[in-house]
Amino acid sequence: CLHISAKGLSQQITLTEKGAPLKKVLREVARQAGISVVYDETQLAATNPVTISVKNVSVQAALDKALEGQPLSYKVDGSRITLIKLPPPATISQDSSLTVSGRILDEKGDPIIGATIRINGTSTGTTTDAAGKFSIKVPGPKSQLAFSFIGYTQQVLQASANPMTVRLSLSATSLTETVVVGYGIQKKSVVTGSISSIKSAEFENQPVTRVEQVLQGRTSGVTVVAASGQPGSASAVRIRGNTSFNNNDPLWVVDGVVVDNGGISYLNQSDIESIEVLKDAASAAIYGTRAANGVILVTTKKGKAGKLSVSYNGYLGTSAPARKLKMLNAMEYATLRNEALVADGKAPLYADPKSLGQGTDWQAQIFNNSAARQNHEVSLSGGNDKSTFYTSFGFMKQEGIVASAISNYQRASFRTNSAHKIAKWLTFGENIGYSYEKTLSLGNTNSEFGGPLSSAINLDPITPVVETDPAKANASPYTNNGGLGIWRDANGNPYGISGVVGQEITNPLAYIKARLGNYNWAHNLVGNAYLEMEPIKGLKVRSSLGGKLAFYGSETFNPISYLNSSTTNPRTNFARDQNNSLAWNLENTISYSRIINSHDFTILVGQGAYMDGHTANTNVVYYDIPATNFKGASLNFNTAQANRLASGKDGQEHRVSSLFARLNYNYQEKYLFTAIVRRDGSSRFGPEFKYGTFPSVSGGWVPSKEYFWPENKVIDFLKIRGGYGTVGNDNITDNGFLSTIGDGRNYTLGSDGKIWVGNSPNAPANPGLHWEETRQSNIGFEMAFLQHFNFTFDWFNKKTVGILMNPRVPTYTGAFGNPPANVADNQNRGVDLELGYHGNVGKVKLNVNANASYVKNTVLYLGEGVNYITTSQQTFQSSTYPITRTILGQAFNAFYGFKTNGIFQTQADVDNYKDAKGNKIQPNAKPGDFRWVDTNGDGQITDADRQILGNPTPTWTYGLNISATYKNFDLALFAQGAGGNKIFQGLRRLDVLNANYQVKALGRWTGAGTSNDYPRLIDSDPNHNFSNPSDFYLEDGSYVRLKVLQLGYTLSNQIIKRIGAQRVRIYVTGENLFTFTKYTGFDPEIGGTISSIDRGIYPQARSYMVGLNVTF
Amino acid sequence: CSKSFITVDPKGTAVESNYYRNQTEAFNGLIAVYDVVGWQGSMYITKVGMADAASDDHYAGGGGATDVSGLQVMTNYTVDAAQGPSSELWQKGFAGVFRANLLLTKLPGATMDENLKKRYAAECKLLRAHFYFDLIRLFKNVPLITKPLANSETYSVVQAAPADVWAQIVKDLQDAIAESQLPDKVAGAELGRVTKGTAHALLGKVYLWQQKYTEAATELAEVNGADPGNVSAKYGYNLLKNFGDLWKSDNASKFNSESIFEISFTSLSGGTWNCVSCTEGNVLNIMVGPRGYKPTAGAPDYYSGWSFLPVTQDLYDLMHYDPRFKYTIADLDSLEKNGIARYDKGYMNTGYFLEKFAARSSNITKGGGNTELNFGQNMYEIRLADSYLMEAEALIKGGQGGDVGTRAYKLLNAVRGRVGLPAVAATFDVIMKERRMELAGEGQRWFDLVRTGLAPTVLGSRGFKANKNEILPIPLQELENTKLEQNKEYGGTK
Repeated sequence: CLHISAKGLSQQITLTEKGAPLKKVLREVARQAGISVVYDETQLAATNPVTISVKNVSVQAALDKALEGQPLSYKVDGSRITLIKLPPPATISQDSSLTVSGRILDEKGDPIIGATIRINGTSTGTTTDAAGKFSIKVPGPKSQLAFSFIGYTQQVLQASANPMTVRLSLSATSLTETVVVGYGIQKKSVVTGSISSIKSAEFENQPVTRVEQVLQGRTSGVTVVAASGQPGSASAVRIRGNTSFNNNDPLWVVDGVVVDNGGISYLNQSDIESIEVLKDAASAAIYGTRAANGVILVTTKKGKAGKLSVSYNGYLGTSAPARKLKMLNAMEYATLRNEALVADGKAPLYADPKSLGQGTDWQAQIFNNSAARQNHEVSLSGGNDKSTFYTSFGFMKQEGIVASAISNYQRASFRTNSAHKIAKWLTFGENIGYSYEKTLSLGNTNSEFGGPLSSAINLDPITPVVETDPAKANASPYTNNGGLGIWRDANGNPYGISGVVGQEITNPLAYIKARLGNYNWAHNLVGNAYLEMEPIKGLKVRSSLGGKLAFYGSETFNPISYLNSSTTNPRTNFARDQNNSLAWNLENTISYSRIINSHDFTILVGQGAYMDGHTANTNVVYYDIPATNFKGASLNFNTAQANRLASGKDGQEHRVSSLFARLNYNYQEKYLFTAIVRRDGSSRFGPEFKYGTFPSVSGGWVPSKEYFWPENKVIDFLKIRGGYGTVGNDNITDNGFLSTIGDGRNYTLGSDGKIWVGNSPNAPANPGLHWEETRQSNIGFEMAFLQHFNFTFDWFNKKTVGILMNPRVPTYTGAFGNPPANVADNQNRGVDLELGYHGNVGKVKLNVNANASYVKNTVLYLGEGVNYITTSQQTFQSSTYPITRTILGQAFNAFYGFKTNGIFQTQADVDNYKDAKGNKIQPNAKPGDFRWVDTNGDGQITDADRQILGNPTPTWTYGLNISATYKNFDLALFAQGAGGNKIFQGLRRLDVLNANYQVKALGRWTGAGTSNDYPRLIDSDPNHNFSNPSDFYLEDGSYVRLKVLQLGYTLSNQIIKRIGAQRVRIYVTGENLFTFTKYTGFDPEIGGTISSIDRGIYPQARSYMVGLNVTF
Repeated sequence: CSKSFITVDPKGTAVESNYYRNQTEAFNGLIAVYDVVGWQGSMYITKVGMADAASDDHYAGGGGATDVSGLQVMTNYTVDAAQGPSSELWQKGFAGVFRANLLLTKLPGATMDENLKKRYAAECKLLRAHFYFDLIRLFKNVPLITKPLANSETYSVVQAAPADVWAQIVKDLQDAIAESQLPDKVAGAELGRVTKGTAHALLGKVYLWQQKYTEAATELAEVNGADPGNVSAKYGYNLLKNFGDLWKSDNASKFNSESIFEISFTSLSGGTWNCVSCTEGNVLNIMVGPRGYKPTAGAPDYYSGWSFLPVTQDLYDLMHYDPRFKYTIADLDSLEKNGIARYDKGYMNTGYFLEKFAARSSNITKGGGNTELNFGQNMYEIRLADSYLMEAEALIKGGQGGDVGTRAYKLLNAVRGRVGLPAVAATFDVIMKERRMELAGEGQRWFDLVRTGLAPTVLGSRGFKANKNEILPIPLQELENTKLEQNKEYGGTK
């Protein structure tokens, strides 16, 4: 194959050859046009020598001439030309036959030239002409016609006397498919790294708020976990597990511009053409820096030469919570509270629990069962042979399902790009994207420390939503402080304030009112411009400058507020926070491609310079402003100087300078080889350790192309590949190698009470700080079989050494912070599997993609003689010990605590629980208490008995994507899931004794034989049944979720022609319809720094939407 | 690209290796040492709060049994290496030691007045002694670190013999006293900085802990002056006429003549919930205030607090008719019974709160920040009444009498006389009782009980175990991956 990346068909060809091989002529045409010509070597075997003499003719004209009299035709597809073998001339059949005519079109409605029409089961057939038209005589009306074209899925239809319009769709198994690799495009069949690719067709109609959600379940090796169900909130993306201990976010590269981690919210998924995930070192090494966590390449849609295309895509819908927690009602609550008090020898609090009835369902107060969401997107694209453009506008608005008034998200986005051919050898192009986001957020979305969710779970059901009894409403606490700051409903009744549950747990309706209006905003401007030159054949020089400019901040008004006695705000304040940030990068590459006697190679060398972290923050707070709500708040109220607080921060620039090179080589697409080396220098390391060199090699073999490969109908294509490489990570604080001086160590001295500024070092210097390295081996194969199936398998072993982190230094050093160091080694091993089917079942066109990934994480090293570290361990309010720990030989930050072994049913059980020497292990325990496992066998229960209880990170992730088309109907089903992890269900506040319970507390131990898994209730909890972290809190985190179910209908041509449209499709979508899980909380999908710790996660919404696609 | 492109100077911060070049930078370093005197961790643990909660004068209180568990476990003596005030107090002490050590190392290289260098060095040593004095009393087996650790030493530090630490404390204080550049008195903008008087008083207290009564009495006499009850000529110390004036929050009342070593706070640092440990306000003020305070007209202007450290019935009964009662104990029980004010009953409520430090509406910050975190009352590490009573105790313990005419008698009765109490003969028991009432709530009582060996008797009912609870466990995290050993009192080997 000859493959040169896209140029243009408009090139003028001048060519003179006499009796030359066709191959030579084709290559010359391709060279001059700068296009690719795709063919099979065997096709050329039977061709005649060519004699040709043309001057300044079009590509088509040159090819027509060259292929004159040859048994070949061709098809132009974008900037790619595919040669097709012509069938033998059709034989004339009997006169009784029927003549069938029609057109063959591709997915976009463009004619397919040279497509084959065959009478099924015979060798009789014809091909389409330049307009895609055909005419064929068939034996009779029952005849079946097979329509096919290389790279497209074959269709078999019954012959019809009426003109037939046949649409062929691109076959994804097509071996001519290309994928975006770093700094270029490669044919998928010759790629040697492990790359997963998703095309726009798979996600463009999906209801996705943020781009990373597109990846969830759609590709192997990628785990996506939402941090919250709050609209617009980010998800954690992990490629092949937790690579490092600090930042595990992959590198995002949008149209060649490196975009800071997590900063991709400005992207609208319908503007995306494809997403490629570079999973192994062999493919990611070209991005050496920060590629350790994998690289995600996003390619946005571009305009195409031809007529103007305008399309609209939008939906309207409504969301509701999928599940509520089962909490105790007032009667049950009072009963259990009395029990817990009486157990401590105290008086019961509630004289007659039965009289309290159902009480308040706080969840019903905060959940919105009809939260609105909508999305609209209009795009225009087009161009001519000199210039192409693409422009889009998008608007999205989504209400959260929890406390919608303070939980919603809006985004308006605009995007444009164009490319211009300045000269035959010179192209200029640019991409610019802008977005505005406005986010109202709950504040705490997965926190036991308040917020509407945590409050709804913990607040007692006895407190009324609104206090309507005038006697109570006109007494304390509603009259405290002269009633100032008490929140009331429309009727003037105060929202109920609990008399028994305090701290951060407040009436959620009052909480909502107290923060109404507060919002975050962000403007993002991301763009790049490039110049591409091809001065001589095969040599390409490209220069690109990209940047991201962001402005973001928040407006917050805190009114005078009394939510309960410990959550009060006696003074108003209005805070404005403003930030701007700039990042830019400059890249220059030179590549050269040639084929010499079937040796096909491309060499790329490049240079890059990157800067980010240039940020500036200013924050100003005015206290005591005379406003009562957000609308009235303004900095125009000039309060006293002492009541105006200002602060600011400047970020430090983080710079990286790089040199890189890549060699791609293949011999007849049979033997493949790629080598990459990249050298990066980072400002985050000291003079001795600034540079890191990251090499990789990979190779592949395609036995199915070998001459000895037997002709068979089973395996169509087989590629075996493997690679090894190293990538780096500098993701640690700036200046970590230095001991910087911190301020704020202030002290007040003197008769006038002056605050003096104190300075001291933050942390010891670490001049030896250096690059973290991830070394990865990958072995895999790709296979296409039985014509309709494809299968990809990858095994990987990823080892990260010298992990950068801030290990806890002993505080006797006096360090104020922990200096960064290269501390640990970590390993992820696993497999990625992808299986696809593309074909027809009866009249149904079916696409099925299934994927599954497994990754096992093991901590290999934590320092000389160090067995465990407590850095980034997770805590749960007043539990006796932290709940996670990173231990040698185990998974990162695994759940750590006590193991229970049932509940003591009787005193005899307690007395019989003895160690080897016959001593009682828990002498002070009482019936109803947990029997803790004495792990170390020392006869007592101490902190040393804690052990690993489970892994918070899913080990298995999987997805299933099915799309089916029948006539004008299409159906899409998308399911995803994860498993192998435990979830810590920390929903009830330990330190708020009067917090409500879930209904499972009704199954508590109340006497011998009543329960062996839920201990007795006693407030002082002397056995630490509840305050010890233990397996009592852990639940299986596996789930499978029917994420999307969509049914669409495409209007027939007759109807839409009247409005001049090309295509009109209407659809209905259901999102998160079912979740199958044993987990008892709101939602098993719990992201965050460490996954699977449920402190009252904002659950994912269940949505129903109707949508419309229109293309003109 | 050149190497200079990827060399970025730290933004808005200096680097340790080239800081402390001049007097300004050295002074900023000195302030950082002082900062540790007023250290408040993010978990509301202070030495005073811890010692109060552990004493027979207070309970931990708060909102519930697990509210600020570092205080709760001191009240019921369930403190262990994982839970309790250890880590905060340990970190505080060593932060102070480190900052003092660093400045002592850097001072010789600074370009500044040599005499000023000597004064800063003396202050560093004095403060280092203060930090080590707390560390050794609380933890017994601590590493002795007198210069900044090299990177290679981070994990190889071992605990020193307690005698060596005591010796270093004494030496540091003696060095400070011997330094002619350390002033006897300070005034104006320097108020709050330590003086020779501070050094003598602290050294006296150190000797008292070591039961070196003669030396203790000598040092304390230096501070207390020739004529107890009247101004000490050299240092200008004198008891305030009005006991109540000691607890005022205004600038004029701070650094008064009775103050020898003061812990300084301010209402104007704008502290917010974003960083509780960053505020320069006194968090004890909001902690000890009555919870959910609902006053009527004419009621005291307490600011609703978190009801920590409620006063025990025992102390209430002891002090009820003492002239210092109304300045020491806030009797919410009585206010409620008389219909003057109501309040929410917190955990372990007794109805009595710590009047000395309770937040007042009249003391609400006039600057920014969260009200709760910006009360600015100062506290006393050592005040003259304390040093009078310490000297009296040293004299009695040293074998001298306490009858009329003796110095111990004069010292004791200067304290009593100030609040109008009749003179009594000085005995050890009388002095201890006087200390309990005079210094109630100031974090002294628990240390006194431990120092004098009375703790097991007095605190036994709370769960205090002799030969264990006199000290705290080494914080668990500090044992991780280090060469430190846990105290044998807490199941360790040291």
